Amino acid sequence: MNRHITQMLQKQSTPQSMMGDPREMEFCVQREQAQMKWQQEQLYQQQQLSYMINDNNQMSMFNLPIQGGISKQEDTMGSGWNVYGVGDINCTLPRTVSCPPAVAAAIAEAARTRSKEGSFMTNLSSAVGKESIMKRKLDRTQSLKVKVEEETKDKMKGCIHDAGSKITENQSNSNNGNKEPSPDASEENSKVSEGKKLDYIHVRARRGQATDSHSLAERVRREKISERMKFLQDLVPGCNKIIGKAGMLDEIINYVQSLQRQVEFLSMKLATVNPTIDYNIENLLNEEVPQASTNEFSAIAIPSEMVNPGNLQFNPLQDLCSGPETDDMALRRTISAPVSLPETLLNQSYLNHASPWDADLENLYVMEFQQGKYSSFTQPFTGHMEATQVKLEM
Amino acid sequence: MQNPNLGKKIFMEKWMKGLQRYNSSNKEMSILERTKVIKITSDIAMASTRKSSTFWSQALLANASQDDSNKTILEHMLGSNSKIVEKASRTLLRMANNSKKIRSKKIVKKSCMAKRVNRIEYHGLASCVVAKRLVKKRTQVLKNLVPGGKYLQNESLIREALDYIDSLRVQVDVMRSLAYASNHFHCQQV
Repeated sequence: MNRHITQMLQKQSTPQSMMGDPREMEFCVQREQAQMKWQQEQLYQQQQLSYMINDNNQMSMFNLPIQGGISKQEDTMGSGWNVYGVGDINCTLPRTVSCPPAVAAAIAEAARTRSKEGSFMTNLSSAVGKESIMKRKLDRTQSLKVKVEEETKDKMKGCIHDAGSKITENQSNSNNGNKEPSPDASEENSKVSEGKKLDYIHVRARRGQATDSHSLAERVRREKISERMKFLQDLVPGCNKIIGKAGMLDEIINYVQSLQRQVEFLSMKLATVNPTIDYNIENLLNEEVPQASTNEFSAIAIPSEMVNPGNLQFNPLQDLCSGPETDDMALRRTISAPVSLPETLLNQSYLNHASPWDADLENLYVMEFQQGKYSSFTQPFTGHMEATQVKLEM
Repeated sequence: MQNPNLGKKIFMEKWMKGLQRYNSSNKEMSILERTKVIKITSDIAMASTRKSSTFWSQALLANASQDDSNKTILEHMLGSNSKIVEKASRTLLRMANNSKKIRSKKIVKKSCMAKRVNRIEYHGLASCVVAKRLVKKRTQVLKNLVPGGKYLQNESLIREALDYIDSLRVQVDVMRSLAYASNHFHCQQV
């Protein structure tokens, strides 16, 4: 990872890295990344490198860190960076720790270098951390390399002009914004003007982010998408713990697929389980249209077995229209199917008192009760039915 | 949909109407045919519940109208105003045309992107590209899942997916309760 980014940034490395060795250039870039005290870091680097060389050469020359000549550094760079370039930072540290006691004379020196190396390591790690942060930002915004380049350029500029870095950054940002039709003097100004232009979308460019209109629009679009994704997250069960767009999309796809499959399965079930179902529904709705009385209803030639289904067919409708307990009741029904049916009907009848029904539905309901009397249901159930029927007919 | 129960009720009514009308037209069917009819009628009912406010419902209606055998159902269900279907198919056509333009734009973009990607890969920024690719792949799958999603852009796709999921839930709920009721009746009879 580390190396990748340094490689990426290699292009932007200023002519500071004059030495031919690419690894040296890498390190220079790293130093730029760290953005501060690069000279001291160079010192550390020299010391560390020389120390590593010492390590490699069985601690033969400890005068190297004191001299720390650039020429020597150049000479030793190859081997030293070979150790480092492989990427086992952890490997070098323990070795250096373990080495010093071997030579008694260099104990103090070793301690000094160790401490310095430690600090160097922390520096390095901080640099790595910065890079990782950058990377994360990159992933999040999904911006392409160009943006990062801009960012790093801004940072570099800010680094070069140590005093009043903010002003320079503003300048650089305004330089970026020159492509805009209305060039602004500074970032703040541009922000304000943008806010005036699109007062309904609040856009705020953070430090180092591009402020031209295209990238702003892109950012707004991305924010919108992420917002909707959040809504989707709420809608899809078990999706709130997943981080990342890909995982969330996975979950959503699974959910939609499962729903579609459910629909298919249910339609299959409806087709197979009870072939008479459609006709029952048909009957129900035929009745719905002419607002039939009970006499008419009985006059219609319905097979005796259809009476019950008619009643049962109506359950879902009621179920659907009755209050918020629908899921609850459905659950109860599935748990104890034969027993709970009267219970649910009871509930529905209670709810029926409270909620006003459409005229035709009401009629239907009454008719169903009439049918229910014929059918062999339990006592309390029919009793309640009669009560509701009376109420409804009044 | 403010009131889910209201939505369910409307859906149920429409669906019942569709089923009833269709059953009155031809009575003898095999199980597979019945399945198909039930599914299509429920789909159409779902789509018509959502009016023409969403794109997926229009796409669903337009797709259904393309099959000749479904035309009768559509006519039955949506009654005399077949304008809805016409409008839906017109919208679909418009969106398809739009997407063509978008596609041509996309080709240009892709050719630019390829260079960029190459550069990025060359510089070793692989993970970003990989993540992007993952998202893209999944978006493509989602586009295939949501009716008419092929013609949609990313943001509208997500909005449509939201709406579609909502309606699917209603559909599944209604169908399940109906299936349960019929199943229960079946058990009682046996």
